[in-house]
Amino acid sequence: MREHRDDAAAGVHAAASDARFDVRAAFAEHGPALLGFAVNALHDRALAEDCVQETFLRAWRARASFDPARGSLRTWLFAIERRIVLDVHRAHARRPRLVPQGEHPEPVADVRDPLERLGMVEALARLSAPQREAIVAVHLHGLSYAEHAAATGVPAATLRTRVFAGLRALRTTLDEMDATDA
Amino acid sequence: MHDDTPDRHAELSAAALAGELTAAEEAELAALDAARPDAEAERAELAALVARLEGVEAWDDAEPSDPLAARIAAIDDAADVAAPAPAIAPAPPTAPVAAPVSLDARRRRRRRLLPLVAAAAACLAIGVGIGAAAFGERGGEDVAGAPGALGAIEEVDFVGAPASIAIDGAVVAHTWGTETVLTIEGLAAGETYTVVVVGEDGTEHASGAMLGSEVPVDCRLNAAVLREDVASVEIRTSSGDELAHADVVDV
Repeated sequence: MREHRDDAAAGVHAAASDARFDVRAAFAEHGPALLGFAVNALHDRALAEDCVQETFLRAWRARASFDPARGSLRTWLFAIERRIVLDVHRAHARRPRLVPQGEHPEPVADVRDPLERLGMVEALARLSAPQREAIVAVHLHGLSYAEHAAATGVPAATLRTRVFAGLRALRTTLDEMDATDA
Repeated sequence: MHDDTPDRHAELSAAALAGELTAAEEAELAALDAARPDAEAERAELAALVARLEGVEAWDDAEPSDPLAARIAAIDDAADVAAPAPAIAPAPPTAPVAAPVSLDARRRRRRRLLPLVAAAAACLAIGVGIGAAAFGERGGEDVAGAPGALGAIEEVDFVGAPASIAIDGAVVAHTWGTETVLTIEGLAAGETYTVVVVGEDGTEHASGAMLGSEVPVDCRLNAAVLREDVASVEIRTSSGDELAHADVVDV
């Protein structure tokens, strides 16, 4: 499974004169996580791929403004994608939904803040894949550690440690996003 | 990046958050907590975080497709084409802009000029700067995609301008609206020109303004209307007369 290097300069050529943004390298490094965010935020694969393309297009156009000293390339790309996903999500939310005649959806009693869900999806997407997989299995799908260990071959003790570290990372990422949005 | 280094305290804390502690493990965790005063508070914080995860019902581990990789690579190819910026000699001064030859049926549509909110233009004269990325994108290696695809450069033909004015135009669909990319030679120096994106319902969306120059003008302008709702793009003189327009295909 791919591990991301959170090196601030990853994906960016050393040629500081034009702060050249290496699109291919950045996509290879961060594309899967960015797509994971968009797919799970929008539940629409084609739209999610459009959002990822738009993210890299905007990043390429704004490449001169990227400053590795202010944050990692991964954080910068996610910040760009967050705005795009949010715009798309809002545009969809505004569109009326057609339902078959005679079908009356029940009022939703538990209306969660969609921004809260988008924030959590982004934070999960930014985790390492092994951490996210373990958290999803235990805390979203409700598997026990023993069941997940049997399914993956990873010892339960390792999975427990991995989930705890993942939850800490999730908290840190959400704090960073809150600080960025503030 | 993650670290799987064995950590008994973390291991037991994770089990506690999942409600899986045995009695023996519970006692062991209590002993470990006693040596680290902030452990229980952190666990409570993470328990609240776990509760918030309920808003995410499932997770789709999507991997980028080959077509998406190709679309991203096309951005890089465009970048290679764009640098360095080509040196283009200044165009000769032109005569004042004449009135448009004709106003077609689009002129009869209901028109309501939206406020200039969200409208922006970024222009420069090619002879004095870079900013020529658009040329790279509009060369032979554009960002791939059919008209209406997000980020794809879509060439459009501007018609109706005097022969002394050469207009090279394209539009780009974005999630936030429609971008018009223009390269114009022959505009009267110092004259103001506006760009308006006309919606399919006839609504006019202001997209910004530019000054004519003795050198070619390279300009990108944004309008707050989705590409799927756009019928045409118009360039107008300061008096409001049409200089040229481009009809776009339905998407």
